[in-house]
Amino acid sequence: MIEFTLDGRPASAQEDELLVHAAARNGVFVPTLCHDDKLDPYGGCRMCVVGVEGSSRPLPACATRVSAGMVVSTNSNVPQLRKTLTEMLLSEHLNANPGGRPNELVDLARELGAEAPLVLPDAKREPYADRNRLMGYEPDTCILCNRCVRYTQEVMQCSALSLEGRGPEARIVPTWERSWLDTECELCGGCLSVCPTGAIYEKFLEGAGVEERQLEQTKTTCTFCGVGCQIDLNVDPETKRIVKVTSKPEYVSNEGDLCVKGRFSFNFVHHPDRLTEPLVRGEDGELHPATWEAALAAAADGLKGVIRRHSAQAIGVLASARLTNEENYLIQKLARIGLGTNSVHSCEAT
Amino acid sequence: MIGSNTTEAHPVLALRIKKAVRKGATLVVADPRAIWLTKIAKRHLQLRPGSDVWLLNAIMHTILEEGLHDEAYVREHTEDFEAVREVVARYPPEEGERWTGVPAEAIRATAREYATERHAAIFYTLGITEHACGVDNIWSLANLVLMTGHLGYESTGLNALRGQNNVQGLNDSGANPTYLPGYQPVDDPVVRAKFSEAWGIEVPERAGFRLDQIMSGLHDDRIKALYLIGENPGHTEPNAHHVAEGLSKLEFLVSQDIFLSDTAERYADVVLPASSFAEKDGTFTNTERRVNRVRAAVPLPGNARGDRQIVLDLARELGCDWPEYPDAESVWNELADLCPNWFGIRYFRLEDEGLQWPVASLEDEGSRFLHEKTTARPSGRGKFHPVEYQPPIEEPDADYPFVLSTGRTLYHYNSGAMTMREDGITDKQRDPFFEISAEDASSLGVLDGDWVRLVSRRGDLQARAQVSARVFPGLVWMALHFAEAKVNWLTHDVGDPLIGTPEYKVSAVRLEVL
Repeated sequence: MIEFTLDGRPASAQEDELLVHAAARNGVFVPTLCHDDKLDPYGGCRMCVVGVEGSSRPLPACATRVSAGMVVSTNSNVPQLRKTLTEMLLSEHLNANPGGRPNELVDLARELGAEAPLVLPDAKREPYADRNRLMGYEPDTCILCNRCVRYTQEVMQCSALSLEGRGPEARIVPTWERSWLDTECELCGGCLSVCPTGAIYEKFLEGAGVEERQLEQTKTTCTFCGVGCQIDLNVDPETKRIVKVTSKPEYVSNEGDLCVKGRFSFNFVHHPDRLTEPLVRGEDGELHPATWEAALAAAADGLKGVIRRHSAQAIGVLASARLTNEENYLIQKLARIGLGTNSVHSCEAT
Repeated sequence: MIGSNTTEAHPVLALRIKKAVRKGATLVVADPRAIWLTKIAKRHLQLRPGSDVWLLNAIMHTILEEGLHDEAYVREHTEDFEAVREVVARYPPEEGERWTGVPAEAIRATAREYATERHAAIFYTLGITEHACGVDNIWSLANLVLMTGHLGYESTGLNALRGQNNVQGLNDSGANPTYLPGYQPVDDPVVRAKFSEAWGIEVPERAGFRLDQIMSGLHDDRIKALYLIGENPGHTEPNAHHVAEGLSKLEFLVSQDIFLSDTAERYADVVLPASSFAEKDGTFTNTERRVNRVRAAVPLPGNARGDRQIVLDLARELGCDWPEYPDAESVWNELADLCPNWFGIRYFRLEDEGLQWPVASLEDEGSRFLHEKTTARPSGRGKFHPVEYQPPIEEPDADYPFVLSTGRTLYHYNSGAMTMREDGITDKQRDPFFEISAEDASSLGVLDGDWVRLVSRRGDLQARAQVSARVFPGLVWMALHFAEAKVNWLTHDVGDPLIGTPEYKVSAVRLEVL
């Protein structure tokens, strides 16, 4: 541990700790926009600048490491700087809240009492149409913090997104301005999960009229592979349908990261092909809807018939990794003492 | 990484590997295909499908020849080492190069790096297990880990990456012919007596059939009825035309699922509409043995029922007198009460994050890795199994000159019942395709995207050629996800002699240009 001074009080930090983290542990919250703990220190947006004695300019807390004896001030001229920076970002921020998506810049502005002093006449940036149905990009909401591009480079280690153009024309594009579907993008949606302003967003929510902050979140375990990513199913309380899937950095096993299936394959839950009635095969050889009573009786009679004509050993039961431990436990119990066979297995036998 | 296309099959775990490499870890990938991870790997051992035993024996040959094994660990914690020493002496890397296609120097370098790095871990997936010599492959890996003492502490070991969400838990909870819940052997009379007493009915003594035995039983009159829960063997089992023929002979078939599978549509007598993961409470156990909570977020559609409810309803209908089980937790508690390694896992401890078994008591914080003090065997010693190379069951010949290997892609899941219904994802990958080398494509006159017929001794299908640098000449690769072109029409069904795992990774096919 090393000692330093924070706003006139003694404070301690770990060797090489970033100032933004050390300040937080000592009870001083420094706002950030371009910073993400998953990513390398960047110091792009300057929202987190603090005064450091001996430095002629304020330094970004997200990219400055604490050193012993450092004297740090977050309350001299820093608040005014922060407000000015916020105003500058707001003046280019023509579409602050599309679709009611959360926006850290707007939250910060509200907190600081900052408003855009003027709207830059040439601030309007070109959107681009893309045929993918999962992710959209709204350039007038983007603050060019580059978190999305850095996520693709540092975490995914691909070159799916780029920062293109300069000055008022700058925007984020899939590399070479191709479709999201034609780059090496794996559609994991990591870019939208790190976007602080909602500039990259779930395209399928466009026009859905869902106020995001009213969604009900249920934490559960993803159903697509053995990693066991922890996810939040975001359910619209009115329709009782899952409208999107998110995760959080503090979740173990996946630290908030997801893949294309975990994030975007949830519509199957509400698909019209879902089975909603029991079916029993009739005399005509076709499957017909039936009541549960009839279907369960038919299932039990059919299995009992096979036991009577042959033996319990003539029945095979195939359970599934789709099911929970509890369901599999009951299925093997049913096979063993309900039907009388140990022949219970599954395609996960590999 | 051996036999694991991690960025596609376990994409989020692959992020950890990418991160480790970025921080300076050495990555070696052994895989017949130039998968994504080879881009950041120090070395790619591009072995021929099915030559894993040769490769691993040659690595061990080098380790022993150069004295890089952990003698103290071998002496104190293992048995039968000499048997392996004898066998691997006959597997020099130079000869290995001819069998595996991997340069001898790459084999030697990998052996040195693995043996001399204290924090060296092996990860494998179905590229290792889905062979007729799957058990041999695992034993070879275990031999390698044991002789270098790479287990029992962090960032080491032999790590299976479980393919599906609850493969680990399915086996933990006893959906297995050999084991009652908690890997308690069903052929042990003391274990049977314990469960019989807890359940109030005698657990049958007669050995059950494994999956492959159930499948072959369809054809020889041993199996007359199947109860399928969330399974579609007509798609996912090898030699699928033959499977369908077997299913047509059944006297009775029950399918419990969320969609009507093509198997159920043709052969089921009763179909029971069940619950998706988003509609149920319970637990899944992940590949690191972490028991995680599953929580219902949305109501069931129509008259569908939860799978727990359906099994309980069916049990009642069959005349079982079972406890009430009002919720998933009550089922879990019965399991945990009966299984010592799970005893300390209770729902109230899983609220924030899961626990990794073994968890013996309520005070036990769980186990991040296994074999810390001793190995799990009764003797407390890890056992070496000498393994000789066996060629794959079906090798290419003049009529069927290509090796076909199968697997999964990032965008889909198994039979595609869920992911093929996602428009946003099928925009990226919908049509059946197979990977073929540029050399083979050019000699056949096939262009990228052309439709080609793949023919094996068991069936044929049409898929689009994807001309790819991932495969070498003579090898084609195809995923299992496509309902209209089931690659399992082509695969053969001769599995591992000990456990029956199918050889999805090696079949012989020919290509017919359309």
